[in-house]
Amino acid sequence: MASPVVAQRPAETPARPGRRRRPGIGRRDHLIGWLLIAPAMVYFIIFLLYPALAALYYSFTEWDLHSAPIWVGLQNYTDLFFDDVKYPHFWKSIQVTLQYTLVAVPLTLVTALGQALLINAVRRGSNLFRLLLFLPVVTAEAAVGAIWRWLYDPQYGLVNAVLGLVGIPRQNWLNTPELVIPALAFIAAWQCGISMIIYLAGLKSIPESIREAAVIDGAGPVQRFFKVTVPMLRPTTFYLVVTGIIAALQVFGLVYVIFSGGGNRSVTGGPEQSGLAYVLHIYLYAFRYNAMGAACAMSFILLVFIMIITFVQFKFMKQEAS
Amino acid sequence: MNQKTVRRLPIYIALILLALVSVVPFVWMLATSFKNGPDVYTQVPQLLPLDKKTGEWNPTLGNYEYVFTISGLGTAFWNSVWITCVLVPLKLLIDALAAYAFARIPFPGRDKIFVLMLAGMMVPTITLLVPRLHVTQMLGVYDSPWGIILPNVASVLDIFLMRQFFRTLPVELEEAARIDGAGRMAIFWRVILPLSKPVLAVVTITSFIFHWNDLVWPLIVLNSPDLYTLPLALQQLASTESGRAYYIMAGAALAVVPVMIVLLIFQRRIMQGIAFSGLKS
Repeated sequence: MASPVVAQRPAETPARPGRRRRPGIGRRDHLIGWLLIAPAMVYFIIFLLYPALAALYYSFTEWDLHSAPIWVGLQNYTDLFFDDVKYPHFWKSIQVTLQYTLVAVPLTLVTALGQALLINAVRRGSNLFRLLLFLPVVTAEAAVGAIWRWLYDPQYGLVNAVLGLVGIPRQNWLNTPELVIPALAFIAAWQCGISMIIYLAGLKSIPESIREAAVIDGAGPVQRFFKVTVPMLRPTTFYLVVTGIIAALQVFGLVYVIFSGGGNRSVTGGPEQSGLAYVLHIYLYAFRYNAMGAACAMSFILLVFIMIITFVQFKFMKQEAS
Repeated sequence: MNQKTVRRLPIYIALILLALVSVVPFVWMLATSFKNGPDVYTQVPQLLPLDKKTGEWNPTLGNYEYVFTISGLGTAFWNSVWITCVLVPLKLLIDALAAYAFARIPFPGRDKIFVLMLAGMMVPTITLLVPRLHVTQMLGVYDSPWGIILPNVASVLDIFLMRQFFRTLPVELEEAARIDGAGRMAIFWRVILPLSKPVLAVVTITSFIFHWNDLVWPLIVLNSPDLYTLPLALQQLASTESGRAYYIMAGAALAVVPVMIVLLIFQRRIMQGIAFSGLKS
């Protein structure tokens, strides 16, 4: 396309220092720029900025979505933290979510790293294995929940049948409070494909020369793993831990599907609220009890929590970089 | 060579075991979905659809027929198809236009707006749900397909990814086209978009998967069963027919199989996209 003109350009450019383009096009360009971002901007204002600010406002009100919100100041927040008659399961939902995060994130990352190391170690079939291990990721959470409810079925479930082969007695996984978190964390690890892919990319970026140097220095495979691979993967691990925590704190769809049953949109959060994830708790207050103000307050507590984590991440990354 | 193969054997065994854990749930889902009701509940798990009493080959499509017609998953399937087919291209267009402006057209306040948008990504979805529901009610799109489409019609993450990609394209190409008399829009359509197929593909595929699978927003914004999307209808099925695994697994298969096909076709692009967006963000 018009190569002679391209050739002329470099001679032309330095002639007008400070101004990259012809005068006059600038203002029209501004207009085009604004027009191009206009649809995204309208979306952003209506469906992101306004809702975020509105949620903050509603968190200081009592509101049922239909009548006008009533300003109550900080009462939603203080009631959530201190009134365990009004919000009996608030602390329980925090405990459940933290427990889930504490189990699911490490389990997911160890599984993902293991899978990535194994795939990285073979040439033949590595694409096929990568694909198969990735399948659970693209599965709708409604389907994931449905499938695992069937797999965890106490009487006819495949999980009990397989564990029975190695002599582990039948468990009622989703109906035993102590087993709910491990059962959910196992599903999370089953869906670790994204972390696996990112670990694979991290492994591929470790220079071959470093590995060879370690071999020459007489490091065995185990030593190489802990002295070379793990330190080199630190930024990747850090990123995955942070995003993993943020995602785990917001677990919802899966627990919603798993613990819904017996009719129309009724969800309780599992036996003795052992699966009452924080976001499920918010959902129940917002869309079942119509306590929009309290739900917004809870969601803002989560937002602050996530912002702190993100902030710490930024600090750390800056430290790493310098 | 031979020694190498032997040394790799344990690795392959481990990989096969892991792959089994990954895949068997889907196999089990399909197996259950083709069984007649009574044949599903056997003391020893049975992979093939055999008659419980006689042991004869006894598969059925009846479960699919039932969920497709009587449970309304057929309607839901088509709802999901057309909503995704409207939403994804529309979203792609809006995001690409904005990304191009953010990447290449300097105008006052541009970068501040961009940073503000990025900051908006930090807000958890749950925080936005209640006000978004209120907004859809005020816009008159509550309990309608547009109530799903409009609140999803742009994505800051996708704008960010496309902007990053557009910025890697050589400016010289654009300037050449400009000197040839092409305007901004002509440059966008004829120069930028054709060069950006990789990022457009990634964003399209991941958007398709995300919206096809999305449960939470339809759960909140839809009320009439005949408007349900597939994940929502599946969740309802799993809840109301919770004693009938064969129906639920047929419904799950309807939701899972289309996405699996997309994954099989586009696996390389999806993996690249994840490695790219994962490491960049």
